[in-house]
Formats: sequence, C-alpha cells, structure tokens
Amino acid sequence: MFRIVATIGILLFLSPLIEGILRKFKALVHSRIGPPLLQPYWDILKLLGKDDVRSPHSLLGPLPAWLSLAALLAAGLLVPLGTTAAIAGGDLFLFLYLVGFASVCTMLAGMDSGSPYAFLGMGREMMTSFVVEPVLFIALITAALKSHSFRFADMAFFQQVSGTSVSMIISGAALLLALQAQLSKLPFDIPEAEGELMGGVFAEMSGPTFAMYRWGFIVKQVVFALILTQIFFPWPLGLTGAWAVAAQVVKVLLVAVLVGLVDAVNPRLRIDQAIGYYFGVILMALVGLVFALVGA
Amino acid sequence: MTKQDIVQFLKAQLGKGYLRHSEPIPGQVWVEIRPEATVQAVELLHRQTDARYLMSVGSDERELKDRFGVYHLFTFDQQHFFVTLDVSADPKKPRLPSITPVIAGANWSEREIRDLLGVEFDGHPDPRRLVLSDDWPQGVHPLRRDFDYSAKPPSKPENAYPFKDNPPGTTVVAMGPYFPVFEEATYFRLYVEGEQVVDVDYRGFYAHRGIEKLGDASLTYNQIPFIAERICGICGFVHNVSFCKLVEHASGITVPRRADYIRVIMLELERIHSHALWLGVAGHIIGFDTVLMQTWRMREPIMWLCEKLTGNRKTYGMNLIGGVRRDIPKALVPEIRKKIQAMDKEWRAVLDAVKDDTTLRMRLEKVGILTKDQCHEWAAVGPVARAADLPMDARKDHPYCAYDAVDFKVITADSNDVWGRTIVRILETIESFKIVYQSLDALMELPEGDIITEIREDIPAGRIAISAVEAPRGEDVHFLLTGGDNRPYRWRVRCPTYPNLPTVQVMVKGEQVADVPIILGSIDPCFSCTERMEVCDVSTGSIKVYSQEELFNWTKNRRERFETV
Repeated sequence: MFRIVATIGILLFLSPLIEGILRKFKALVHSRIGPPLLQPYWDILKLLGKDDVRSPHSLLGPLPAWLSLAALLAAGLLVPLGTTAAIAGGDLFLFLYLVGFASVCTMLAGMDSGSPYAFLGMGREMMTSFVVEPVLFIALITAALKSHSFRFADMAFFQQVSGTSVSMIISGAALLLALQAQLSKLPFDIPEAEGELMGGVFAEMSGPTFAMYRWGFIVKQVVFALILTQIFFPWPLGLTGAWAVAAQVVKVLLVAVLVGLVDAVNPRLRIDQAIGYYFGVILMALVGLVFALVGA
Repeated sequence: MTKQDIVQFLKAQLGKGYLRHSEPIPGQVWVEIRPEATVQAVELLHRQTDARYLMSVGSDERELKDRFGVYHLFTFDQQHFFVTLDVSADPKKPRLPSITPVIAGANWSEREIRDLLGVEFDGHPDPRRLVLSDDWPQGVHPLRRDFDYSAKPPSKPENAYPFKDNPPGTTVVAMGPYFPVFEEATYFRLYVEGEQVVDVDYRGFYAHRGIEKLGDASLTYNQIPFIAERICGICGFVHNVSFCKLVEHASGITVPRRADYIRVIMLELERIHSHALWLGVAGHIIGFDTVLMQTWRMREPIMWLCEKLTGNRKTYGMNLIGGVRRDIPKALVPEIRKKIQAMDKEWRAVLDAVKDDTTLRMRLEKVGILTKDQCHEWAAVGPVARAADLPMDARKDHPYCAYDAVDFKVITADSNDVWGRTIVRILETIESFKIVYQSLDALMELPEGDIITEIREDIPAGRIAISAVEAPRGEDVHFLLTGGDNRPYRWRVRCPTYPNLPTVQVMVKGEQVADVPIILGSIDPCFSCTERMEVCDVSTGSIKVYSQEELFNWTKNRRERFETV
C-alpha cells in the first residue's frame, strides 16, 4: 500500500518538475529566459482554482478528465520505478488497456463538448491513436517474446540478465519515435494544433477539468519515459538503492529533453503526413518483432 | 506598346465608346470612355495588352461634374506608366456595368464602391456587402459628399450577413472573427468534409475606420501623412510615403535627394523588420516557435535602430510632404551600417537553416497554389505574384524616391506555393540590406540638412495623381483627386492585402484544414490596412502614462500648430 501511495505521489508531484525543466530547455533553444522552473505547478494550481466553464451540450461533464488522469496514474503503478513496480504483477495488457482508456476518455471529452474544433481534434486523435498505439503494442510484445513473460518486472529484468539483442534495440528505437506522438509533441501535436484547431479536443475545456488533462499529460510523459528506459534501455546495469533512482531520474530527463528538442526544431506536420510517417515506424517495430521471432 | 499605342488601340477598338484622353501627370494616362464601352475596354486591356489591373475607385462628383466617377486603374509595369479608364455614372440612379466577370480581382473594389457610394454594378457575381457592417441601414452611403463624416445612422441589427449555403455533406469550421493565429479580426468560414476544405466564404471589414472619409472631409494635406501612417502598424511608412508622393506629384515639387535616400532607408528598414516578423509568424502558424523566437530576436535591434533614427520603433512620423522631418546625421551612419551587417550575417544563417529543413518543406511545398494566370486574374501583388514568376516590383516598375539610383534584384520563384513566397521574402530581405548599404553611402556624400522642399502655393483643385510604393506585402497604390480646400476631394488607398486576400479563397479550396492558416499567412495579411481603421492607443511614456483624454487634447493642440505652419 505504501508503495502505491508513494508511486502516485511521485508521479503526481514530481512529474511537473520534469515539465518545468523541459520548458526551460525549450526556452534555451528559443533564446528565451523561459518560465520559472516551478511554473507547471502554478499552472495546475491556477487551473484548479478557476471556474469550470462547460459547454451546455456536455453530457459527461468533467468525468472523462478525472478518469483519464486516474487511468494514467494506474498505468504508472505497473511500471517499474527504481527496481520494482508498485504493483509487481502488472502486465502489458493491463497497461495497454489503461493507456488506451485514457485516450478514449480524451476523445469522448472532445466529442462531448459539441465544438467543431474539438470534433476535428477528436478525429485526429483517433487517427493518431490508430497508428501510434500499435507501435507501443508491437514493441512490448517483442519484449514479452524475448523475456517469455507479459509482466513488466520480467521484461525489465531480461536485458539485465541476458544482455541486449537486435530486436530489443529496434523496438526501443521505434518506441522512442512513437513517443513524440504519444506525448502530443511537435511535429505530432496535430490533435491539439493551436494554429488551426485552437487546442482541438481541449478547445472547450477550462478550470479543474483542463487541469486534470494537463496533469495527465505531464504524468504520461514520465510513465512513457519510464517504460522506454526501464524495459528497452536499462543501462547502466547493476545499480542499487539511491544510485538506481538517480540513474532513472537522469534517464527520464534525457528522454524528456530529447523529446523537447525534437519538439523545438520542427513544425507541425499534417495528419496525412504524420500517418505516412507512423506507418514507417510500425514497419520498423514489426521488423523488431520478426527479429525476436527468429530469436535475434 | 507605348502610351500612344495604347491610346490609339483603345480609340480604334472602342469607336464611339471612346471619348477623350489626357496625361495630367507624366506617366499617368487618362482615358474617358462611355459606360457601355467599359467591359469591352477592360477586356481589351486585360486580355490583349500587358496591362495589370490595380483597383477601381469611386468618387462622388455630383458637385463638380454632376456625376459619380468610377476609375478603373491599370499599370503597364514594363513600360512604366499607368492607364486609367474614367467612366461616368448617372447622379440620380448610378448604375454601371460590372467588370468583375472579366477581372475577378475587381470584385472587392466594385462592392466597396457600391457600399460606400451607392453605385450599382450590373452583372456583378457576388453583390453582397463588403465594407459596411451588418447593422448599417440600407441606402446610406458614407462616402458620399453629403454624408457628414461624424454622422451615425441608426443601427439595424436585423440584417444578418447572407453567408453561402453549406455544400451538401459539409460542416462549417469557423476561422474567425477572432482566431489565435490571425492577429486581427477576420472571418473565414470553411465548409469542410473531414479534413478537406470544399468551399470557403469570407467576411471581413469588422473594424472599418473610415480614414479616407476623414482625409476627404476633415483633415488637411499636411495632416494626412500622419493618419496615413496609422493605416498599418507594420508597413505604415509605406502609406505615408505613398500619400506624400501623391501630393508631391500633384503639386509638381521635387524632393531633395537626401530626403529621398532617407525615405529609402526607412522603407527598407521597414521591409527588413516586416519580413523578419512575417517569417516568425509563419513559423508560429505551423507550430515552429523556434523560428518565431529567433527571427524576432534578430528583428529587435532593427526596431531599436528605427527608434534611434526617428524617435519611434514603428509609426515613425518621419515623413512630411516635400521631404522628411529629421535628418540622419552622417555621424550615425557607421552605427547603422554595423547593426544592419550584424542582422545581414544572422539572416543568411536563417536562410541556410530554412532552405534545408525537410519538415518545413513538407509543410510549405505544393501548398496554397496560385499560378501566374490566377495572379493576373485576381490582380495579386507582391511576394504572392513574385512566387508565381511575375517579376513585378513598384520599386523597379514605377521608381520613386531614390530607387532609380540603387542597384538591387527583383527576387522571383516559380513554384507558385507557400514555399516560394517564403524564399522570395527571405532573399528579398538580403536585397534590402544591399539597398540600405548603398543609401548610406549616398548619405555620406550628400550635404546634411537639405531634407525638405516646402510647398509655397496652394494645390489647385481637380488634379489627379496615382502613386505606387512597394510595401513588404506588395504594391501599395494611392489615388488622389485634389480638392479646393487644402484637402483631397477623393483619396483612395489600396493596400497590398486588398487584392491578395480574395485569392485565399482560390488557394484553400481542396486543401486540408491544417493548411488554411499558413496559406492565409503566406500572403502576409494585414487586415488593418484593408479596413483602414484608426486604433487609439494609450501612449506609455517612461514616466508618464497619458490618458486617452489627454492624448485627444494633445492632438487637438497639435492640429492648431500644423495649420499655422
């Protein structure tokens, strides 16, 4: 129980710091000073204190927002943090369901608001999911094949014991490429597309509901960075205790900075271009799977 | 074809429809024709000669000649002259044949004349309101001479704007009237099927300021340059120069050479900052904020430089009729050169970074196509036309100020798309650096202090002048018919966005929703120009903040001082 509470606490209250560092980094690329490091916390606090203005057509209200954050936190519990996960028995199917559920919640919220921008954004979110979720699925299946287990704990352990393999490297790379879209960062922030859709699914959101989504995104960022680093890039090996935690934090930061850098130096792609690109990434993940099947 | 050839050609072809011609100002040919011959004359010029349509101007001349005058302006770029077709409409029931079926680009001009002067155009394909707001009563035309400039007719809120019907199977996605990537109010109503734009409708002019009316009814020649500069917050100096050139043409005075060069420097500094601003905004529209931040950082020293030279970052207030208000001392020249060289160096780095950026090209290439023929049809100007391989540039075609003495290239591209417009603007900025260097050299040679020619006599009524100045967005055209009371009888401003904005409707059809903002952005729209509104801002001094009231009183006192000069 303590581990669960602690993990949720870490995800909720430390993830915004990573976001803050990311914003500082982006400002550096822009030649800006950037917002204070703690700005993401103030943003969430500010949104939580505001009125929740809702579309009169809304049937679901703030429900999808809360469910989405809850699902992402639950998914976070399955991912090994430090050396073990909060819920050690968690497997990849449960994780995929939870992550998928969170994006369904986002789409529902988009549909629920009745705004044409949100509706277009919802369509884009769905199209993006169709091509991005398979990458995650295939990559995780590859890891499962290699480690002969669907449990994250075993997958994370595999490379530490048996060393690396071609299939794991390829899958890891594919997952890294998919991360940009999973986290709605440029050039794939198409469902939100401030320029043409004014925030897409979030166009009509405000106050605490919007805070839940923002918070969810910030948590998602860390959860996905953890999956990537823990299962596919577990190096350096053999660390214990505080060192393991420190290494993990550094790795998550590295992933976040990498994602941030790509975000800063790219314009937004169109949905058709993005889908074309992700078909390539799916193929790449499949190649990884084939390698795993032949034992490489 | 020379001027004589054109006149002879029209005379021969139009027969009885032709009335007379004159050349009131060298290079500005005036041809009076009968209303019935309008369409034929326009067709002849548009299809059989090198003429390029500029705009149509309407003018209430019931006091002067008992008629409504409508002028269709054309330019012969390669031959460096203007041809104006002058048509009279009946003062009681003004009706004229529409030329929009021949030249699509005349659409807005004719609708504007209809709104503001009440001249009806027979055969106009889209006779909806353009300029007047929806609640403006029918049959009240504010630009008529008998309409007082401060009159406020009662609001008729029941008139809803008749937007086009949805094409079957489409939904409406509204971009505007307020939309994050459009900095000003405009409304593009997109009819979309999934992600594809099937059709589009436009409504704008939400903030029409009636500046022309002010010029015709309330201000004097010496005051107008300052309000002309406030037509646009980005390329205001262009409007200022355009207007000053008009009055200088009409009164026949020569501007001192040093003032010419100072104007060129300010015009080019304005182009440099405007293109840097545009590139940043374009980057922002497609989510590339690094471009926005970096280009605006480079632009900032130019703004400071302008402040040092004129006293203001923008809206320089530098021009007076006959010259400029402030000299650029020779002692400042090295510093200006250094600042420009610094930007020059960084700008070339931007060019290298932009031209090899694959994702950027993916977003910009083959998007927002407007071909050479379509440009001619819609009378598109500036980088939009130059990206369609039309080498038009008022600086070369109708040289003004000192542009006849500086060496620069007209940059063109042949890709017809947003990418072409981007590259044209980036390269054009490099040409601007060159022009500034040359002008600075000239400033070092010319004597300091000789910066203004004063007009001693009154400007006679009934004179006509046209001026074209190349703004960063394209060519800015002003038209003047002088009045007897030290102010214009009719002053018409056609900013470059005015012909370019309607082309967006052509460019976005069949494209994806995601491309609409950047297509619109690619013309570098400037709605405040189109709408000619005055924004009353509270000026912030370093110590004192002026209230609106104080500013108002202050400008009132200023006016008195101008009149005594």
